[in-house]
Amino acid sequence: MNPNDVAGQAGPKILSARFGRKDGHRLPVYEQEGGYTALRKVLGGMQPDEVTALVKESGLRGRGGAGFPTGTKWGFVPKGAEQVYFFVNADESEPGTFKDRFLLDYDPHQTIEGTIISCFAVRANLGFIYIRGEFGWLIDRVQKAVDECYAAGYLGKNILGSGYDLEMIVHKGAGAYICGEETGLINSVEGRKGQPSIKPPFPAVSGFLKKPTIVNNVESVASVPWIINNGAAAYRAYGTEKSPGSKLFSVSGPVKRPGVYEIPLGMPFRTFFEDILGGMADGEELKAVIVGGSSVPVLPADEIMACNLDYESLGSAGTMLGSGGMIVIPKRCDMVELIQVLMHFYWDESCGQCTPCREGTGWLHRLVKKLRRGEGTAEDLERLEHVCAGMAGLTICPLSDAAVMPMRSFLDKFRGEFEALIQDQAPVAASSRWPRGERE
Amino acid sequence: MAKLTIDGGAIEVADGTSLFDACRLARGEALPHFCYHPDLSIAGVCRLCQVEVEGMPKLTIACNTAVRDGMVVHTRSEKVRKASQQILEMHLINHPVDCPICDQAGECGLQNQYMAYGLYDSQVTQGDKVHKTKAQVIGPEVILDKERCVLCSRCVRFCNEVTKTGELGIFNRGDRAEIGVAPGQQLDNAYSVNTVDICPVGALTSRDFRFQKRVWMLKSADGVCAGCATGCNVRIDHEAGRVYRLKPRRNAQVNGSWMCDEGRHTYKAVHADDRLVEPMWRGQAVTWADAKVRLAEVAAGGFALVVGSAHQALEELCLLKQVAAGAALSGGLAGSDMGVGDDILRSADRTPNRRGLALAGFAEHGAIELAALIRAAKGAILVHGGDPAAAPEVAAALAGRQDVVYVGTHRRATAQAAALALPGATWAEKAGIFVNRQGRAQAFAQAVARPGQAREDWRVLAELLPAPAAAPGSLKVLREAVRAQLALDVDLDRLPADGALTGGEA
Repeated sequence: MNPNDVAGQAGPKILSARFGRKDGHRLPVYEQEGGYTALRKVLGGMQPDEVTALVKESGLRGRGGAGFPTGTKWGFVPKGAEQVYFFVNADESEPGTFKDRFLLDYDPHQTIEGTIISCFAVRANLGFIYIRGEFGWLIDRVQKAVDECYAAGYLGKNILGSGYDLEMIVHKGAGAYICGEETGLINSVEGRKGQPSIKPPFPAVSGFLKKPTIVNNVESVASVPWIINNGAAAYRAYGTEKSPGSKLFSVSGPVKRPGVYEIPLGMPFRTFFEDILGGMADGEELKAVIVGGSSVPVLPADEIMACNLDYESLGSAGTMLGSGGMIVIPKRCDMVELIQVLMHFYWDESCGQCTPCREGTGWLHRLVKKLRRGEGTAEDLERLEHVCAGMAGLTICPLSDAAVMPMRSFLDKFRGEFEALIQDQAPVAASSRWPRGERE
Repeated sequence: MAKLTIDGGAIEVADGTSLFDACRLARGEALPHFCYHPDLSIAGVCRLCQVEVEGMPKLTIACNTAVRDGMVVHTRSEKVRKASQQILEMHLINHPVDCPICDQAGECGLQNQYMAYGLYDSQVTQGDKVHKTKAQVIGPEVILDKERCVLCSRCVRFCNEVTKTGELGIFNRGDRAEIGVAPGQQLDNAYSVNTVDICPVGALTSRDFRFQKRVWMLKSADGVCAGCATGCNVRIDHEAGRVYRLKPRRNAQVNGSWMCDEGRHTYKAVHADDRLVEPMWRGQAVTWADAKVRLAEVAAGGFALVVGSAHQALEELCLLKQVAAGAALSGGLAGSDMGVGDDILRSADRTPNRRGLALAGFAEHGAIELAALIRAAKGAILVHGGDPAAAPEVAAALAGRQDVVYVGTHRRATAQAAALALPGATWAEKAGIFVNRQGRAQAFAQAVARPGQAREDWRVLAELLPAPAAAPGSLKVLREAVRAQLALDVDLDRLPADGALTGGEA
């Protein structure tokens, strides 16, 4: 992906101003471009509740996938709580999603500034940036940026003479998708097995070390300095009524210009696809799009072409904006092969505590493999639906649903491809046998 | 108090009650479940106790939901029924269904709940199942079968929360997740078999009970463990005169849901080879008729010293005191039967009724004091239970005497030293009351028949009374006499399920 592909795009530069910029990750460059002015503004006289109110007013919604309003989440911290913790969730591991990686790679200070302001807003004196273990170089980059902040007085005791103290820890995850779920993340930092906790209590009331804890996605936090500097109304000038502001989309698949793009929410998919992505690569034809990371339902070409890229339009089309991890699928792809890749992923990543997910993800994976071996029957297609019904909405965390949503939608939208694999009907599939050397 | 509606019926429960408990009350039976346990933390992982709460978008698990005033809950709706069926099916798909060779069959949560709520057609063929390690010895008492496990985590929580020893964990993730012990460790805490009790399936089985008896053959009696002064409430599982195992009975005031491993093995003494099963006169077995003749010879003038024991039931001790009729009394050896205690359940006092012994008016003596009492006795001596002659000083004092009568259960030193030894009953073979270290009187019921010629102790003692005609005609009458004798304000024949404090509690 060439980050310079982002250049040339019209629209907001709320998040991506320094993408592709040489030394954009260094403090002097960030400061030169107005970095840490939002922090100075906040510490220069704003009250924590004013910051929260401003973020609430901006309509910023959580960019990790669920889209929950960020300011509202902050408001759940009990009044008068003595000890509050704040976590930035950089455990970005949803297949197809690589936007937070760009944010931290090209512009770690933007996220750190947003984190300091967010910590101030929820009255936390200890913040964590939890980075996916596989992002080795990012951990070094973010740690260096944090060190720069300590040296510059943006972190530590009495920040900028305001009396506000904040320590920040860069924490390396150990490599589990489930640690991107906020309670799984908290458990793993506590040194426990990385698996979600039952709710209630919610982390905002009882999280890390049983104290109120807020966990926000990198992109959500990175949006905060701009909102402070420019105001809620300026933020709302982008996007739609229910999806204000801008959003990063990480686009993979055979389009002309894959990459990470910042666009105002509400942009028609067609505009994004044709004008910004440049359409499909030569010789490829669009078949389907997974628009918000691997966990959201797939839409065939004609359906996605009718959508706008915002929470409400995609929701009414039966899918979700999710993380903005957009996977563009060309005509030549075997949908059953693709769903096998995904079912392998969810089977491999299920933490195993809730029975429907532990057993269901494995069962779906086995059934899909059976189909691809040419041993499936018509009953197996019914059985896939049956297993999905036993997994959906019945578990502690959404991983189970995250497996069900693609499975159901692939089966629903591309049933013909599944039927073609059924015993006695199928010509032995010419497609590849993914994944080779699969661990079992 | 919170008023809620469950399955159309109104119910009122205390604030803070879990919806699981409220549903149990309303339904008269628990919701289907594997991971919930009243004495462990909430895990919420089996997902089986799903209920429909009006106003909530999705089904919710009752175990992790607190009741709210005005809540309207459905536990038998079509939506709930479907979810329970599907979740049970998920529990079963990788289960080996080796019930014919599984000890848990007959008392298995998976079997029972599948029959009550489950689907009846399996959608999974044997060849498609995930296989795991079977029959792995993980400690002195417990064997693990990983593929029978439903990963409810009760055993892990028990070792983390109750014994705080943490031997067990869930290793790996997804459908590769399995219970295990860390390499080089074993499940060897003093309470390890509780994990077998709370295991809802046959994943953890007791090495002692394994393959001994199909559980549906067993009958049960409510007992009180005689292994120490805690008096854990137990279920005595027996068949055809044989006790096969002890299981804890829940009593929140005494033992919660637990008991120690040592206590579980106490049934073995009931069937020991050295049981006293016939009256013995100078080492020779005699009939009860002969024994009575000998008794008349030995103790014609009554007894000069009567020695009780903290192993005997309260009713027996009170009757023994009447037998003494003013003779010198001893409660047996002070400090005998002491072991290691802990702050979970086990008392260092390994007798079941030291409080009852004191309550009945017996004081214990050191070995030298007791030997002196024996030497001072100018007439027959009656020893009931215990084994004071295990102390060399006492054995020396008893040596050569031809006027010692022993009533007890085993042919140990005191039985051998006595001229006349009369066979009594163990706790499994009679009913009675023990007073535990809290001062709590707890009744135990007879489980099995007495072996050989053994008799209920109180009937033996009744014949030793100075005026046998005045003997109580039944245990009920005896208990009423005990209540009067001890001035207790409780019907000893109908003690409450969690026992009754007898006053002067520590």
